[in-house]
Amino acid sequence: MKMLFIFFLFFIFIGLSSANVPVRQEQFIYSVMAFNGKDYSGTFCSENSDTIYLIADQDNFITARKTLVYYWPITGDWKTDYDALNYPFDGTLKLTVKGGESRIISSERYTYYNVQGEYEQNWEVTTGDEAEKTWQHYLSLINEYWLITEQYQKAKISFDLMMNKLAEEITKKRNSGLDVTELIEKLKVLRLPEPPQPPNDYIVPPSPVQSAFILNLPRGEYNIHFINKDDTVMEDSKKRVIVFKKRRTDGIGFEVIPGDKWTRPVESKTPSSVLYVDGTTNLYLRPFFQDEFNDLYYKKMLKNDAKGNPNLMNWVHIQQVPGGRIELTGNNYDNEEILEKPFYVEQAKGSGMGYKIVPFDSEGTHKDRGPNLIAFKVLMNNERSVIKLNLLDRNGLNLAGSSRQIRVVVKTRCQSVLLLLCLLPLLVMAVIRIIRSRKYTV
Amino acid sequence: MSFRMHAALVIAKRRIFESYLSPGYYIAQAVGLLLSYFLISGFVSSIDSSGFNYMLNPLYELIGRSLSGTFGLTFLKKLFASGPFQFVFYVSIIPVFLYLSLSTVFHFCLEKKVGAIELLTYGPVDGTSYFLAFFIKDMVLTILYLLLLILFLSAAALLNNLVLGLAFFYVLVVVFFMMMLLYTISIMISVLTDSSASAIALYIAVIFLFLIVLMGSFTIISTYITSFSSVLSWVINWVSPFFYGGLAISFIEAGYIVNYLLILLVMTVLSCLFLLLSHLVIKVKGVHS
Repeated sequence: MKMLFIFFLFFIFIGLSSANVPVRQEQFIYSVMAFNGKDYSGTFCSENSDTIYLIADQDNFITARKTLVYYWPITGDWKTDYDALNYPFDGTLKLTVKGGESRIISSERYTYYNVQGEYEQNWEVTTGDEAEKTWQHYLSLINEYWLITEQYQKAKISFDLMMNKLAEEITKKRNSGLDVTELIEKLKVLRLPEPPQPPNDYIVPPSPVQSAFILNLPRGEYNIHFINKDDTVMEDSKKRVIVFKKRRTDGIGFEVIPGDKWTRPVESKTPSSVLYVDGTTNLYLRPFFQDEFNDLYYKKMLKNDAKGNPNLMNWVHIQQVPGGRIELTGNNYDNEEILEKPFYVEQAKGSGMGYKIVPFDSEGTHKDRGPNLIAFKVLMNNERSVIKLNLLDRNGLNLAGSSRQIRVVVKTRCQSVLLLLCLLPLLVMAVIRIIRSRKYTV
Repeated sequence: MSFRMHAALVIAKRRIFESYLSPGYYIAQAVGLLLSYFLISGFVSSIDSSGFNYMLNPLYELIGRSLSGTFGLTFLKKLFASGPFQFVFYVSIIPVFLYLSLSTVFHFCLEKKVGAIELLTYGPVDGTSYFLAFFIKDMVLTILYLLLLILFLSAAALLNNLVLGLAFFYVLVVVFFMMMLLYTISIMISVLTDSSASAIALYIAVIFLFLIVLMGSFTIISTYITSFSSVLSWVINWVSPFFYGGLAISFIEAGYIVNYLLILLVMTVLSCLFLLLSHLVIKVKGVHS
């Protein structure tokens, strides 16, 4: 019995030790921090891939490094293990325009950040000494904030101490039957110090200053290879760079969030698209500005080992349309104009689970919290079977390409009528054949 | 009206009448409409509070998984963006198209082989007017089926509160022109070959070739590979009705109406070219196999 148990343990150990561990390969890679139209996203181009994809006329950052690359079968992705090996190479990048001239690009120090503006997308890049200055400016803001925070905490502690002291003194004097009016007055004068606000100069703070090859190229096809300090070309460093542009810009897309499925939003990207729903729940719409890119290029820019469709264009959400209004029209009800409102997502109670979206109550139940969703609420019911909507901008002007239709699908019982219609040709055939046979039998 | 055109119209009229007497055309129509019915009712049952979810219906789960696996999610979303009708239309046109084009190929070759066309050429008919008659018959019967299909789809839309949409009508016109081009190809193949079997085999092979090239161009890929197949597909695309159809639909998606109309014109010119080639071949080769 004991032997059997030992054998059992032995086999478990063998099984565990031979579990599928991804094979890590040491590879030369290009690490890419590419601007994707709304943000910066990182990817890498391994030895298995021959092309890097970038958006035209934007600053993109590329570094050459050696790291461990492995395939992660659970998500079907290629990944890097920077913790185990991350060796950046020092050298230059030779960029050749397809069928044209070449130039050498040296690495530069850079930082990128997003500053406050009317829209959220105010990305800026500074290089060289300016990058250092920006970074130092940000650090000084942070240091200043920490200094003020420290002072605030000290003031808060002394406030608390004073409060406790006064409270104790008042209690003692009251217990002894003495007058506490003076102490009460002192207590009333005490003010809780205001907590400092973090610096709001940046939506996204500057990244720490790093060095990279900054590629800001017009649309086209290029070749790159990495040249070492000793003027030798790095093995496996030759790659193609495809620089692409958006085909169309400033389209209006909608993200549609059903009231009962907060985690499953759907998208409506073109005016010709119709949103069919069953009408059981209200819809929350978020309008977006969107740009249209080649499906394959855009996906591969986000993730170099991704797959895409080379002959299809795809609209990509860039940013939510600020301060708009939605005009609803329909056949069975009066025109209506709805405004954007904040909402809060609450976990539904009871056995049903899930979520429910409720109006954000900043003074009541949701005090000291922020809204989860700022959207247009469209009430759905079976009487409003067809809803046509248009998005108006701040000035009340119709935004081109923003018209959509929402239809509540009727699961009709008249499907048998349709089935009979399908058989209509066979009926006609039967009638013709009967007429013909009668005509020629006589 | 020219003498040849008159002969073509008379024969076409006769052919259309024959088609209305035989069961094939009706069965093809019924199959097409039944396919539409199942696809529309499947779509309706795939709708929930958040819109179209193909996982809710077994038929659509199969279709959705196959399409997104081969062509990607972007393709699938675009196909069903304005409802089921584009997809339904592509599927339901197939039975009638196959019936008409294959019966043309079969009958033309058979009649050529048994000497029926040769016999007619001693009278007021020549080879060109004979194949023109087949072409006119195919076009007329296609138009009639399209009208029936629009009627059926409109009824389905009305009953289920769906909408056909403008995009559907653009696609309908493109498909009509694609079919016109395919019919002229079927005629050219019938003229070129000597037996019905070889003509049908060649025609099916050509359609498959065009389809494979089209599917290849929309298949999701990881990288561009310039290979022999990509060069070959580039060459084939010059005469492929599916390529022009895809191009016209992408133009209309982007709102390029002029380019869309130009593609329709190109398809018309190509159809005329195929008919002209058929005319030249039949003139040189004669009407006897």
